[in-house]
Amino acid sequence: MGQVQILPERPMVQTLGDSTILVRFGSRLDENANRRAIGFAAALEDEPVAGIAEIVPSLVSVLLRYDPLTSRHQDIEGEIRLRLQGALEARVGGTYRIGVRFGGDTGPDLDEIAGMLKVSTQEFVARHNALPLRVLATGFAPGFVYCGFHDEALVLPRRDKVRALVPAGSVLFAAGQTAIAATDIPTGWHVIGHTDFSNFAPDAEPPTRLRVGDSVTFEVA
Amino acid sequence: MVATIIIERAGPLVTIQDAGRFGYLAHGISASGPMDAGAFRRAGMLAGSGEAAGIEFSMLGLDLLVADGEALMGWDGGRFEVSINGQKQNWPGSARLVAGDRMSISAGTVGNYGYLRFGGEIDVPAVMGSGATSLRVRIGGLEGRALKAGDRLGLVGEGVAPAAVSPTNTADGPIRFVWGLHAEVFDAALRDQFVTSAFRISSMMDRMGVRLRDEARVFAEARILSLVSDPVVVGDIQILGDGTPIVLGRDHQPTGGYPRIGTIISADLDRFFQLRPNAEVMFAPVGLDHAQALLRAGT
Repeated sequence: MGQVQILPERPMVQTLGDSTILVRFGSRLDENANRRAIGFAAALEDEPVAGIAEIVPSLVSVLLRYDPLTSRHQDIEGEIRLRLQGALEARVGGTYRIGVRFGGDTGPDLDEIAGMLKVSTQEFVARHNALPLRVLATGFAPGFVYCGFHDEALVLPRRDKVRALVPAGSVLFAAGQTAIAATDIPTGWHVIGHTDFSNFAPDAEPPTRLRVGDSVTFEVA
Repeated sequence: MVATIIIERAGPLVTIQDAGRFGYLAHGISASGPMDAGAFRRAGMLAGSGEAAGIEFSMLGLDLLVADGEALMGWDGGRFEVSINGQKQNWPGSARLVAGDRMSISAGTVGNYGYLRFGGEIDVPAVMGSGATSLRVRIGGLEGRALKAGDRLGLVGEGVAPAAVSPTNTADGPIRFVWGLHAEVFDAALRDQFVTSAFRISSMMDRMGVRLRDEARVFAEARILSLVSDPVVVGDIQILGDGTPIVLGRDHQPTGGYPRIGTIISADLDRFFQLRPNAEVMFAPVGLDHAQALLRAGT
Protein backbone atom coordinates (compact mmCIF):
# COMPACT_ATOMS: atom_id res chain seq x y z
CA MET A 1 0.00 0.00 0.00
CA GLY A 2 1.23 3.45 -0.73
CA GLN A 3 0.42 6.95 0.06
CA VAL A 4 -2.77 8.52 -1.24
CA GLN A 5 -1.99 11.09 -3.93
CA ILE A 6 -3.78 14.34 -3.25
CA LEU A 7 -4.25 16.94 -5.96
CA PRO A 8 -4.49 20.63 -5.09
CA GLU A 9 -7.76 20.88 -7.02
CA ARG A 10 -9.25 17.95 -5.09
CA PRO A 11 -8.39 18.65 -1.45
CA MET A 12 -8.97 15.94 1.12
CA VAL A 13 -10.82 16.69 4.36
CA GLN A 14 -9.53 14.28 7.01
CA THR A 15 -10.14 13.95 10.70
CA LEU A 16 -6.96 14.01 12.78
CA GLY A 17 -7.60 12.67 16.26
CA ASP A 18 -10.97 13.57 17.80
CA SER A 19 -10.60 17.34 18.04
CA THR A 20 -9.04 18.48 14.75
CA ILE A 21 -9.66 18.33 11.03
CA LEU A 22 -6.87 18.53 8.46
CA VAL A 23 -7.63 19.88 5.01
CA ARG A 24 -4.89 18.57 2.72
CA PHE A 25 -4.16 20.17 -0.64
CA GLY A 26 -1.27 17.89 -1.54
CA SER A 27 0.72 14.86 -0.53
CA ARG A 28 3.95 16.53 -1.56
CA LEU A 29 5.18 20.10 -1.46
CA ASP A 30 4.43 22.14 -4.54
CA GLU A 31 3.63 25.76 -5.25
CA ASN A 32 -0.01 25.28 -6.17
CA ALA A 33 -0.85 23.16 -3.11
CA ASN A 34 0.92 25.66 -0.86
CA ARG A 35 -0.88 28.66 -2.34
CA ARG A 36 -4.22 26.95 -1.98
CA ALA A 37 -3.58 25.98 1.64
CA ILE A 38 -2.59 29.55 2.51
CA GLY A 39 -5.54 31.00 0.59
CA PHE A 40 -8.02 28.67 2.26
CA ALA A 41 -6.71 29.47 5.75
CA ALA A 42 -6.95 33.20 4.98
CA ALA A 43 -10.52 32.80 3.71
CA LEU A 44 -11.52 31.02 6.93
CA GLU A 45 -9.91 33.76 8.99
CA ASP A 46 -11.82 36.41 7.03
CA GLU A 47 -15.13 34.59 7.38
CA PRO A 48 -14.93 32.29 10.40
CA VAL A 49 -16.79 29.00 10.57
CA ALA A 50 -18.73 28.61 13.83
CA GLY A 51 -17.02 26.16 16.17
CA ILE A 52 -13.51 26.40 14.73
CA ALA A 53 -11.21 27.50 17.54
CA GLU A 54 -7.86 27.59 15.73
CA ILE A 55 -6.72 27.75 12.10
CA VAL A 56 -3.18 26.60 11.36
CA PRO A 57 -1.90 26.87 7.79
CA SER A 58 1.01 24.58 6.98
CA LEU A 59 3.07 23.72 3.86
CA VAL A 60 0.25 21.96 1.97
CA SER A 61 -2.52 21.64 4.55
CA VAL A 62 -4.62 23.56 7.05
CA LEU A 63 -5.30 22.28 10.57
CA LEU A 64 -8.64 23.22 12.11
CA ARG A 65 -9.16 22.67 15.83
CA TYR A 66 -12.63 22.48 17.34
CA ASP A 67 -14.14 21.54 20.69
CA PRO A 68 -15.97 18.21 20.36
CA LEU A 69 -17.87 19.01 23.57
CA THR A 70 -19.64 21.91 21.87
CA SER A 71 -19.43 21.20 18.12
CA ARG A 72 -20.30 18.25 15.91
CA HIS A 73 -17.55 17.22 13.50
CA GLN A 74 -20.18 16.51 10.83
CA ASP A 75 -21.34 20.14 10.95
CA ILE A 76 -17.84 21.54 10.66
CA GLU A 77 -16.78 19.13 7.94
CA GLY A 78 -19.92 19.90 5.96
CA GLU A 79 -19.27 23.63 6.12
CA ILE A 80 -15.60 23.10 5.17
CA ARG A 81 -16.57 21.10 2.09
CA LEU A 82 -18.94 23.88 1.04
CA ARG A 83 -16.26 26.53 1.51
CA LEU A 84 -13.83 24.47 -0.58
CA GLN A 85 -16.26 24.73 -3.50
CA GLY A 86 -15.79 28.48 -3.55
CA ALA A 87 -13.04 30.33 -5.37
CA LEU A 88 -9.78 30.34 -3.43
CA GLU A 89 -7.99 33.65 -3.51
CA ALA A 90 -4.32 34.14 -2.87
CA ARG A 91 -3.45 35.86 0.38
CA VAL A 92 -1.60 39.10 -0.25
CA GLY A 93 0.62 39.60 2.74
CA GLY A 94 3.14 42.11 3.97
CA THR A 95 6.50 42.86 2.35
CA TYR A 96 9.79 42.49 4.21
CA ARG A 97 13.44 43.11 3.41
CA ILE A 98 15.71 40.96 5.56
CA GLY A 99 19.42 41.64 5.84
CA VAL A 100 21.73 38.63 6.05
CA ARG A 101 25.43 38.34 6.82
CA PHE A 102 26.34 35.54 4.43
CA GLY A 103 29.15 33.09 5.17
CA GLY A 104 31.76 33.39 7.89
CA ASP A 105 31.45 31.67 11.25
CA THR A 106 27.67 32.01 11.26
CA GLY A 107 27.25 30.74 7.70
CA PRO A 108 29.64 27.79 7.64
CA ASP A 109 28.11 25.96 4.65
CA LEU A 110 28.07 28.87 2.20
CA ASP A 111 31.28 28.04 0.36
CA GLU A 112 30.46 24.36 0.16
CA ILE A 113 27.03 24.84 -1.37
CA ALA A 114 28.32 27.42 -3.85
CA GLY A 115 30.82 24.73 -4.84
CA MET A 116 28.08 22.13 -5.16
CA LEU A 117 26.17 24.50 -7.43
CA LYS A 118 29.40 25.31 -9.32
CA VAL A 119 29.17 29.06 -8.82
CA SER A 120 31.23 31.53 -6.81
CA THR A 121 29.91 32.51 -3.39
CA GLN A 122 29.25 36.03 -4.69
CA GLU A 123 27.28 34.60 -7.59
CA PHE A 124 25.32 32.32 -5.26
CA VAL A 125 24.44 35.21 -2.94
CA ALA A 126 23.36 37.35 -5.88
CA ARG A 127 21.11 34.63 -7.25
CA HIS A 128 19.80 33.74 -3.80
CA ASN A 129 18.74 37.36 -3.23
CA ALA A 130 17.57 38.07 -6.77
CA LEU A 131 13.84 37.50 -6.37
CA PRO A 132 11.35 37.97 -3.55
CA LEU A 133 10.24 34.73 -1.91
CA ARG A 134 6.95 33.89 -0.24
CA VAL A 135 6.62 32.70 3.35
CA LEU A 136 5.40 29.16 2.61
CA ALA A 137 4.80 28.02 6.17
CA THR A 138 5.42 28.73 9.82
CA GLY A 139 5.05 26.49 12.83
CA PHE A 140 7.99 24.06 12.80
CA ALA A 141 9.45 25.92 15.79
CA PRO A 142 8.59 29.31 17.32
CA GLY A 143 8.97 31.98 14.65
CA PHE A 144 10.57 29.58 12.17
CA VAL A 145 9.65 30.36 8.55
CA TYR A 146 10.10 28.50 5.28
CA CYS A 147 10.51 30.85 2.28
CA GLY A 148 10.35 29.74 -1.33
CA PHE A 149 10.70 28.87 -3.96
CA HIS A 150 14.11 29.48 -5.51
CA ASP A 151 14.50 28.59 -9.17
CA GLU A 152 15.36 25.00 -9.93
CA ALA A 153 19.04 25.70 -10.55
CA LEU A 154 19.36 26.48 -6.82
CA VAL A 155 17.77 23.29 -5.52
CA LEU A 156 19.99 21.20 -3.22
CA PRO A 157 19.10 18.38 -0.83
CA ARG A 158 19.58 18.70 2.91
CA ARG A 159 22.84 17.77 4.60
CA ASP A 160 23.52 14.14 5.48
CA LYS A 161 24.21 15.09 9.06
CA VAL A 162 21.96 17.03 11.40
CA ARG A 163 23.58 19.82 13.40
CA ALA A 164 22.49 19.44 17.03
CA LEU A 165 21.99 23.17 17.47
CA VAL A 166 22.18 26.28 15.34
CA PRO A 167 21.57 29.66 16.96
CA ALA A 168 18.52 31.87 16.55
CA GLY A 169 18.91 34.05 13.46
CA SER A 170 20.56 31.30 11.40
CA VAL A 171 19.61 31.48 7.72
CA LEU A 172 19.12 27.98 6.32
CA PHE A 173 19.06 26.70 2.76
CA ALA A 174 17.80 23.42 1.24
CA ALA A 175 15.14 21.94 -1.03
CA GLY A 176 14.73 25.12 -3.04
CA GLN A 177 13.92 27.14 0.04
CA THR A 178 15.49 29.51 2.53
CA ALA A 179 14.41 29.23 6.16
CA ILE A 180 15.05 31.45 9.17
CA ALA A 181 15.49 29.95 12.63
CA ALA A 182 14.04 32.30 15.26
CA THR A 183 15.16 30.11 18.17
CA ASP A 184 18.07 27.72 18.70
CA ILE A 185 17.15 24.51 16.84
CA PRO A 186 18.67 21.31 15.47
CA THR A 187 18.71 21.28 11.67
CA GLY A 188 19.81 19.23 8.70
CA TRP A 189 19.68 22.27 6.42
CA HIS A 190 22.75 24.10 5.14
CA VAL A 191 23.59 27.14 7.26
CA ILE A 192 24.44 29.99 4.88
CA GLY A 193 24.31 33.08 7.07
CA HIS A 194 22.83 34.95 9.97
CA THR A 195 20.25 37.71 10.32
CA ASP A 196 19.47 40.15 13.11
CA PHE A 197 15.82 39.99 12.09
CA SER A 198 14.08 38.39 15.07
CA ASN A 199 10.79 36.66 14.38
CA PHE A 200 9.98 35.56 17.92
CA ALA A 201 9.26 37.77 20.92
CA PRO A 202 7.29 35.88 23.59
CA ASP A 203 6.04 39.08 25.23
CA ALA A 204 4.77 40.65 21.99
CA GLU A 205 1.27 40.09 20.60
CA PRO A 206 1.40 38.44 18.15
CA PRO A 207 4.66 36.76 19.23
CA THR A 208 5.85 36.30 15.63
CA ARG A 209 5.77 38.84 12.78
CA LEU A 210 6.07 36.95 9.51
CA ARG A 211 2.91 35.25 8.30
CA VAL A 212 2.30 32.78 5.51
CA GLY A 213 1.91 34.56 2.20
CA ASP A 214 4.17 37.47 3.17
CA SER A 215 6.83 38.50 0.66
CA VAL A 216 10.46 38.36 1.79
CA THR A 217 13.46 39.77 -0.07
CA PHE A 218 16.85 38.82 1.31
CA GLU A 219 19.73 41.29 1.01
CA VAL A 220 23.35 41.50 2.08
CA ALA A 221 23.53 43.16 5.51
CA MET B 1 -4.41 33.91 50.78
CA VAL B 2 -0.84 35.09 50.63
CA ALA B 3 1.99 32.67 51.08
CA THR B 4 5.49 31.93 49.93
CA ILE B 5 6.66 28.41 49.29
CA ILE B 6 10.25 27.32 48.80
CA ILE B 7 11.04 24.25 46.71
CA GLU B 8 13.53 22.24 48.82
CA ARG B 9 13.88 19.30 46.44
CA ALA B 10 12.63 18.83 42.88
CA GLY B 11 12.73 15.60 40.90
CA PRO B 12 13.01 15.84 37.13
CA LEU B 13 10.26 17.58 35.13
CA VAL B 14 8.64 19.56 37.93
CA THR B 15 6.88 22.36 36.07
CA ILE B 16 4.19 24.96 36.54
CA GLN B 17 1.18 24.15 34.35
CA ASP B 18 -2.27 25.54 33.74
CA ALA B 19 -4.87 24.17 31.31
CA GLY B 20 -2.62 25.12 28.39
CA ARG B 21 -1.63 27.84 25.96
CA PHE B 22 -4.01 27.29 23.06
CA GLY B 23 -4.09 29.20 19.79
CA TYR B 24 -0.39 29.58 18.97
CA LEU B 25 0.34 26.55 16.79
CA ALA B 26 0.74 28.77 13.73
CA HIS B 27 3.47 30.58 15.65
CA GLY B 28 5.22 27.28 16.32
CA ILE B 29 4.07 26.84 19.92
CA SER B 30 2.13 23.79 21.09
CA ALA B 31 -0.30 24.13 23.98
CA SER B 32 1.59 22.39 26.83
CA GLY B 33 -0.66 21.94 29.90
CA PRO B 34 -0.95 18.96 32.24
CA MET B 35 -0.04 15.52 30.90
CA ASP B 36 -2.93 14.11 33.00
CA ALA B 37 -5.57 16.80 32.59
CA GLY B 38 -8.17 14.97 34.69
CA ALA B 39 -5.86 14.64 37.69
CA PHE B 40 -4.89 18.29 37.34
CA ARG B 41 -8.56 19.25 37.45
CA ARG B 42 -9.31 17.05 40.46
CA ALA B 43 -6.34 18.41 42.43
CA GLY B 44 -7.65 21.88 41.62
CA MET B 45 -11.11 21.07 42.95
CA LEU B 46 -9.60 19.82 46.22
CA ALA B 47 -7.61 23.04 46.61
CA GLY B 48 -10.27 25.44 45.34
CA SER B 49 -7.85 26.48 42.61
CA GLY B 50 -10.27 27.47 39.87
CA GLU B 51 -8.39 28.11 36.63
CA ALA B 52 -5.11 28.91 38.40
CA ALA B 53 -1.85 27.21 37.54
CA GLY B 54 -0.46 24.41 39.68
CA ILE B 55 2.64 22.27 39.89
CA GLU B 56 3.09 19.10 37.85
CA PHE B 57 5.71 16.70 39.17
CA SER B 58 7.08 13.45 37.81
CA MET B 59 7.84 10.12 39.46
CA LEU B 60 10.31 11.39 42.07
CA GLY B 61 8.04 14.17 43.35
CA LEU B 62 9.25 17.21 45.30
CA ASP B 63 9.68 18.65 48.81
CA LEU B 64 8.58 22.12 49.78
CA LEU B 65 8.49 24.46 52.76
CA VAL B 66 5.85 27.08 53.44
CA ALA B 67 8.10 30.05 54.26
CA ASP B 68 5.34 32.43 55.24
CA GLY B 69 1.57 32.79 55.12
CA GLU B 70 -0.78 29.88 54.70
CA ALA B 71 -2.33 28.01 51.79
CA LEU B 72 -4.87 25.32 51.03
CA MET B 73 -3.24 22.64 48.88
CA GLY B 74 -4.79 19.73 46.97
CA TRP B 75 -3.05 16.80 45.29
CA ASP B 76 -3.96 14.01 42.88
CA GLY B 77 -2.63 12.06 39.90
CA GLY B 78 -1.20 8.55 39.93
CA ARG B 79 -0.47 7.38 43.45
CA PHE B 80 2.45 9.00 45.27
CA GLU B 81 3.60 9.03 48.90
CA VAL B 82 2.83 12.33 50.61
CA SER B 83 3.58 13.57 54.10
CA ILE B 84 3.25 16.88 55.93
CA ASN B 85 5.80 17.44 58.73
CA GLY B 86 6.49 13.71 58.60
CA GLN B 87 2.83 12.71 58.95
CA LYS B 88 1.64 10.48 56.13
CA GLN B 89 -1.39 11.82 54.24
CA ASN B 90 -3.99 10.24 51.97
CA TRP B 91 -3.58 10.24 48.18
CA PRO B 92 -5.43 12.12 46.73
CA GLY B 93 -6.06 14.67 49.43
CA SER B 94 -5.91 18.23 50.63
CA ALA B 95 -4.68 20.19 53.64
CA ARG B 96 -4.15 23.73 54.83
CA LEU B 97 -0.46 24.39 55.37
CA VAL B 98 0.94 27.28 57.43
CA ALA B 99 4.34 28.92 57.76
CA GLY B 100 6.97 26.39 58.78
CA ASP B 101 5.09 23.36 57.42
CA ARG B 102 7.00 21.00 55.17
CA MET B 103 5.42 18.80 52.53
CA SER B 104 7.19 15.86 50.94
CA ILE B 105 5.90 14.03 47.88
CA SER B 106 7.89 10.97 46.86
CA ALA B 107 7.68 8.02 44.50
CA GLY B 108 4.60 5.86 44.80
CA THR B 109 3.13 2.85 43.11
CA VAL B 110 1.18 4.21 40.17
CA GLY B 111 1.71 6.77 37.43
CA ASN B 112 4.28 9.19 36.07
CA TYR B 113 2.70 12.54 36.89
CA GLY B 114 1.07 14.10 39.93
CA TYR B 115 -0.33 17.56 40.66
CA LEU B 116 -0.17 19.98 43.54
CA ARG B 117 -2.57 22.90 43.37
CA PHE B 118 -3.32 25.83 45.61
CA GLY B 119 -6.29 27.91 46.76
CA GLY B 120 -4.89 30.89 44.88
CA GLU B 121 -2.62 31.85 42.01
CA ILE B 122 1.08 31.12 41.63
CA ASP B 123 2.60 34.56 41.16
CA VAL B 124 4.34 34.13 37.80
CA PRO B 125 3.74 36.26 34.69
CA ALA B 126 1.40 34.92 32.02
CA VAL B 127 3.12 34.43 28.66
CA MET B 128 0.70 34.57 25.71
CA GLY B 129 -2.14 34.37 28.20
CA SER B 130 -0.96 31.25 30.00
CA GLY B 131 1.20 30.23 32.93
CA ALA B 132 1.95 26.81 31.44
CA THR B 133 5.62 25.95 31.13
CA SER B 134 6.73 24.83 27.66
CA LEU B 135 10.07 23.12 28.13
CA ARG B 136 10.42 22.92 24.34
CA VAL B 137 9.99 26.66 23.77
CA ARG B 138 11.35 27.64 27.21
CA ILE B 139 8.50 29.98 28.04
CA GLY B 140 5.88 30.18 30.79
CA GLY B 141 5.91 29.03 34.40
CA LEU B 142 9.05 30.14 36.20
CA GLU B 143 11.48 31.49 33.57
CA GLY B 144 10.34 28.84 31.09
CA ARG B 145 12.15 26.08 32.96
CA ALA B 146 11.59 23.16 35.31
CA LEU B 147 11.51 24.05 39.01
CA LYS B 148 14.58 23.31 41.11
CA ALA B 149 15.63 23.36 44.75
CA GLY B 150 15.77 26.90 46.09
CA ASP B 151 13.02 28.33 43.89
CA ARG B 152 10.58 30.59 45.76
CA LEU B 153 6.98 30.85 44.58
CA GLY B 154 4.50 33.45 45.79
CA LEU B 155 0.86 32.42 46.19
CA VAL B 156 -1.73 35.20 45.89
CA GLY B 157 -5.50 35.59 45.62
CA GLU B 158 -8.42 33.77 47.14
CA GLY B 159 -9.18 30.87 44.80
CA VAL B 160 -12.67 29.38 44.75
CA ALA B 161 -14.63 27.10 47.08
CA PRO B 162 -12.93 23.71 47.31
CA ALA B 163 -14.96 20.63 46.39
CA ALA B 164 -14.77 16.93 47.03
CA VAL B 165 -13.85 14.69 44.12
CA SER B 166 -15.39 11.33 43.45
CA PRO B 167 -13.00 8.38 43.26
CA THR B 168 -11.57 8.03 39.80
CA ASN B 169 -12.75 5.22 37.63
CA THR B 170 -9.40 3.84 36.51
CA ALA B 171 -10.35 2.26 33.21
CA ASP B 172 -8.26 -0.71 32.23
CA GLY B 173 -7.80 -2.37 28.89
CA PRO B 174 -6.34 -1.23 25.62
CA ILE B 175 -5.60 2.38 24.77
CA ARG B 176 -8.15 3.50 22.22
CA PHE B 177 -7.22 5.42 19.11
CA VAL B 178 -8.72 6.61 15.85
CA TRP B 179 -6.93 5.59 12.66
CA GLY B 180 -4.44 8.21 11.63
CA LEU B 181 -3.73 10.57 8.86
CA HIS B 182 -1.45 8.11 7.08
CA ALA B 183 -3.04 4.79 8.04
CA GLU B 184 -3.11 3.94 4.32
CA VAL B 185 0.70 4.02 4.21
CA PHE B 186 0.62 0.79 6.22
CA ASP B 187 -0.86 -2.28 4.56
CA ALA B 188 -3.83 -4.16 6.00
CA ALA B 189 -1.74 -6.98 7.49
CA LEU B 190 0.46 -4.49 9.32
CA ARG B 191 -2.53 -2.51 10.60
CA ASP B 192 -3.97 -5.78 11.87
CA GLN B 193 -0.70 -6.58 13.66
CA PHE B 194 -0.70 -3.11 15.19
CA VAL B 195 -4.01 -3.74 16.95
CA THR B 196 -3.24 -7.32 18.03
CA SER B 197 0.34 -6.91 19.29
CA ALA B 198 1.58 -5.71 22.66
CA PHE B 199 3.98 -2.77 22.89
CA ARG B 200 5.90 -1.58 25.92
CA ILE B 201 6.38 1.92 27.28
CA SER B 202 10.11 2.68 27.06
CA SER B 203 12.10 4.76 29.51
CA MET B 204 12.52 7.41 26.81
CA MET B 205 9.57 9.55 27.76
CA ASP B 206 9.09 13.18 28.60
CA ARG B 207 6.51 15.90 28.06
CA MET B 208 7.32 15.97 24.34
CA GLY B 209 6.75 12.31 23.58
CA VAL B 210 6.76 8.70 24.71
CA ARG B 211 8.74 6.11 22.77
CA LEU B 212 7.34 2.59 22.61
CA ARG B 213 9.25 -0.68 22.49
CA ASP B 214 8.04 -2.75 19.55
CA GLU B 215 8.99 -6.20 20.85
CA ALA B 216 6.67 -7.95 18.39
CA ARG B 217 8.61 -6.18 15.61
CA VAL B 218 5.41 -4.91 14.02
CA PHE B 219 7.19 -2.01 12.32
CA ALA B 220 10.68 -3.51 12.14
CA GLU B 221 10.47 -4.37 8.46
CA ALA B 222 8.07 -1.61 7.41
CA ARG B 223 9.47 0.75 4.84
CA ILE B 224 8.82 4.10 6.47
CA LEU B 225 8.28 6.92 4.05
CA SER B 226 9.33 10.44 4.74
CA LEU B 227 6.33 12.66 4.07
CA VAL B 228 5.71 16.35 3.54
CA SER B 229 5.38 18.01 6.95
CA ASP B 230 1.86 18.54 8.24
CA PRO B 231 0.63 19.79 11.63
CA VAL B 232 0.69 17.16 14.39
CA VAL B 233 -1.48 16.86 17.49
CA VAL B 234 -1.06 15.45 20.98
CA GLY B 235 -1.62 11.68 20.99
CA ASP B 236 -0.42 11.17 17.41
CA ILE B 237 1.30 7.79 17.04
CA GLN B 238 4.23 8.46 14.69
CA ILE B 239 6.44 5.76 13.26
CA LEU B 240 10.02 7.00 13.03
CA GLY B 241 12.35 6.08 10.17
CA ASP B 242 13.87 3.18 12.14
CA GLY B 243 10.42 1.76 12.93
CA THR B 244 10.18 3.12 16.49
CA PRO B 245 6.65 4.19 17.43
CA ILE B 246 6.44 7.44 19.40
CA VAL B 247 3.34 9.02 20.92
CA LEU B 248 3.45 12.80 20.96
CA GLY B 249 2.99 14.55 24.31
CA ARG B 250 1.65 17.95 25.39
CA ASP B 251 4.91 19.77 24.54
CA HIS B 252 4.95 18.19 21.08
CA GLN B 253 6.64 19.64 18.05
CA PRO B 254 4.00 21.54 16.05
CA THR B 255 4.66 19.80 12.71
CA GLY B 256 6.06 16.47 11.62
CA GLY B 257 6.92 14.45 8.54
CA TYR B 258 6.74 10.88 9.85
CA PRO B 259 3.72 8.71 9.06
CA ARG B 260 1.04 8.59 11.73
CA ILE B 261 -0.84 5.33 12.00
CA GLY B 262 -3.29 6.62 14.56
CA THR B 263 -4.11 9.21 17.21
CA ILE B 264 -4.96 8.28 20.80
CA ILE B 265 -8.43 9.56 21.68
CA SER B 266 -8.72 12.48 24.09
CA ALA B 267 -10.56 10.33 26.66
CA ASP B 268 -7.56 7.95 26.93
CA LEU B 269 -4.65 10.43 26.83
CA ASP B 270 -4.44 10.88 30.61
CA ARG B 271 -4.39 7.14 31.17
CA PHE B 272 -1.76 6.59 28.48
CA PHE B 273 0.61 9.27 29.78
CA GLN B 274 0.41 7.73 33.28
CA LEU B 275 1.67 4.34 32.00
CA ARG B 276 5.07 3.70 33.47
CA PRO B 277 8.18 2.51 31.65
CA ASN B 278 8.00 -1.22 30.93
CA ALA B 279 4.18 -1.26 31.15
CA GLU B 280 2.56 -3.29 28.41
CA VAL B 281 0.17 -1.41 26.16
CA MET B 282 -2.19 -2.54 23.45
CA PHE B 283 -4.10 -0.34 21.06
CA ALA B 284 -7.74 -0.66 20.00
CA PRO B 285 -9.31 1.33 17.17
CA VAL B 286 -12.57 3.18 17.72
CA GLY B 287 -14.64 5.39 15.46
CA LEU B 288 -14.65 9.17 15.75
CA ASP B 289 -18.22 9.36 17.05
CA HIS B 290 -17.42 6.83 19.76
CA ALA B 291 -14.26 8.72 20.73
CA GLN B 292 -16.20 11.95 21.10
CA ALA B 293 -19.03 10.27 23.01
CA LEU B 294 -16.45 8.94 25.50
CA LEU B 295 -15.05 12.42 25.91
CA ARG B 296 -18.52 13.87 26.55
CA ALA B 297 -19.24 11.13 29.08
CA GLY B 298 -16.04 12.05 30.89
CA THR B 299 -14.72 8.50 30.97
